[in-house]
Amino acid sequence: MEPQKVDLFIMTNGKYFESNHLIPIRDRLLEMDDSKWGIIQTLQFKDPTISLIISLLGGSLGIDRFFIGDTGLGIGKLLTCGGLGVWAVVDWFLIMGATREKNMEKLRQVI
Amino acid sequence: MSSTLNRNKLYIILLIACFAGYIWIYYNYAYNLDNFTNGVNTCIIKQVTGIPCPSCGATRSILSLLQNNLAEALYWNPIGIILVIIMIVSPVWIVFDYIQKKDSLYVFYRRFEILFRNKYIAGIAIFLVLANWIWNIQKGL
Repeated sequence: MEPQKVDLFIMTNGKYFESNHLIPIRDRLLEMDDSKWGIIQTLQFKDPTISLIISLLGGSLGIDRFFIGDTGLGIGKLLTCGGLGVWAVVDWFLIMGATREKNMEKLRQVI
Repeated sequence: MSSTLNRNKLYIILLIACFAGYIWIYYNYAYNLDNFTNGVNTCIIKQVTGIPCPSCGATRSILSLLQNNLAEALYWNPIGIILVIIMIVSPVWIVFDYIQKKDSLYVFYRRFEILFRNKYIAGIAIFLVLANWIWNIQKGL
């Protein structure tokens, strides 16, 4: 793929990924065929900041975990009142990283 | 190392959760036998808003169940029964998987997740949780 397109992707979507993943993503995209550009452009990623806001507001109901697609853990949080409040607080710090990992998983399915 | 949820990570989370649950139940069972009113309140929602959350009352439900009082357990919160089943079944299942070197619980968990992505099943589940929540608020837990 052309470097300009790859850099455009990195610039617009960089905030959705862990910083240590950006270089591998860039290298992988550069190797890839141009025909995949359309699919990659249409991928929708979850914003880590939004998931943090949801975690702060509805964390003890597990809504943050439902939002990023961890349905099972979300149900676990919901049934236990956010893990007796402990898990809910722990997730305030973990949820942004978890969101970025989920985005990476989504991108990996395509590239 | 990737932080995505794999078999071992899920089992560790489940075991920690079950273990914390046992300690919590034991603590409440040993120290708060009188009416369960002076227990420690860990629910963030209840402390902030004064309104009980959908799973408030689960501890009292499990304690009632420990005293063989199923009706009272259902009255406090039906979620308590689900939690008891999970807390009993999952450690046994994990040990079974560990001995047999299988991942049947992990496969079950993934299937369960996919099941709840079905909009009808999710809708029913959301309805039940909301109904339980309204009931909790009415009971004034």
